[in-house]
Amino acid sequence: MTKMKISFSALTLAALLIAGMPLMAHHGTGVSYDASKPVQLKGVVTEFRYANPHPQLFFDVKDDKGTMVHWSGEFYPNPAQLVQLGWGKKRSEAALAPGTVINVTVAPARAGGPVGALMRLADEKDEVLLAIDTRTTPGAPPPPAPGQKKE
Amino acid sequence: MKKHWIQAGILAGSLALSSAAFAQGGRGITAHDAKNDTKPFDKHDLNGIWSRNGSPGGYGGGGTCRDCGDRGFGNDTPPFTALGQKMFDLNKPSYGRNLGSPEAAAHPEEHIGRRRAVPPVNGTDPYQWCNPMGVTRALVYPDPVEFYQLKDRVVQHFEWGQGIRTIWTDGREPLKDPDIPRWWGYSTGKWEGDTFVVDTYGFDERTWVDHFGYPHSTDMHLTERYKRTYYDTLELQMTIDDPKVYTKPWSSQLKKFRLIEKPKTLEGWQGLMEDICAPIEDVDQFNKRIRDPAGGVVH
Repeated sequence: MTKMKISFSALTLAALLIAGMPLMAHHGTGVSYDASKPVQLKGVVTEFRYANPHPQLFFDVKDDKGTMVHWSGEFYPNPAQLVQLGWGKKRSEAALAPGTVINVTVAPARAGGPVGALMRLADEKDEVLLAIDTRTTPGAPPPPAPGQKKE
Repeated sequence: MKKHWIQAGILAGSLALSSAAFAQGGRGITAHDAKNDTKPFDKHDLNGIWSRNGSPGGYGGGGTCRDCGDRGFGNDTPPFTALGQKMFDLNKPSYGRNLGSPEAAAHPEEHIGRRRAVPPVNGTDPYQWCNPMGVTRALVYPDPVEFYQLKDRVVQHFEWGQGIRTIWTDGREPLKDPDIPRWWGYSTGKWEGDTFVVDTYGFDERTWVDHFGYPHSTDMHLTERYKRTYYDTLELQMTIDDPKVYTKPWSSQLKKFRLIEKPKTLEGWQGLMEDICAPIEDVDQFNKRIRDPAGGVVH
């Protein structure tokens, strides 16, 4: 299997795993965004809030004219889902510390503007940084809890 | 770069497909695990953490388990009264198929309540501002509910919104016309054979029946019938009798819960999670900085 095929199957799996969870999560998240028109952005994290009802990522992106645009991104999963997937608050905040360079794919707001729902979140090398579902994150299994057997 | 766009396309396609599938009902794992076919249990024991969530852990929003019914009360909605229609029209939900979308037009078999979602900033969902959910909505939402069965009452502790509801089993008569309505109503329960039957009256009419914005009045009488059919499975059938709003009683889709025996979190701290809708987070931060701008309203 080629690297490309692995990448494709992993992404397809990720999509299928992600898909059901987020769109009907708290607060009617799905309806505001258009997942059929994904937008790719490279930016720098300015703030990350691991909070209900959905974690929020704020990041700066330079547009085509070199102007800095402040983007707001909403996670599809909520903290309860992230916790179950092994992404607790400390680990998530460490991965998305201010200044982190990110490559993101967002479902843009139907109303326009620099706001979207995060579909993919990768690092500077375009490797998945904080997976929506950690089962698709190479080398990043959920850490075993103290006193628990590693699954 | 091309690869990324193809990947994004796969994601988008899968999201769209899955969204449609979830609107119809659950996926993921089933309520009942065949390994529990013959596991003994007490049919009158409701204690434990029960969940309708389709994820292996049973936590965290998203979809319902495969055979557990969907996230609405039921698709077989009876005709509204004139008042009911007015109340229904005033409610603007943000769940279901998008209002006016091709997907909404393609599913005329679904009641219009499931095909009229608007962005939250244009909606009227009381939960957007962290108001209480009410009984029926809390019961169909696919997050865990812990049942505490005590000598004189059954307490339901809903993880989503940290809701607490008391069902009295001390023999008192139902309070059919209380002076002060409540967000969670006034509930009494009794066993009819192996079915735990709950009657609830006195609802605050500002809650919705489910997240599709179906209304109810203060006069609603809700009947719930719980039956533990396997060690790991609890079934629920509900009926709403609300002549002010619906022209005949409305029976819910059959809902199923599965027993979550080993809840876990990151650090082995077992039990329900704290999932509170707090205005300081949800309203002041999330709504103002994310939800409202996503709907075109920038503060």
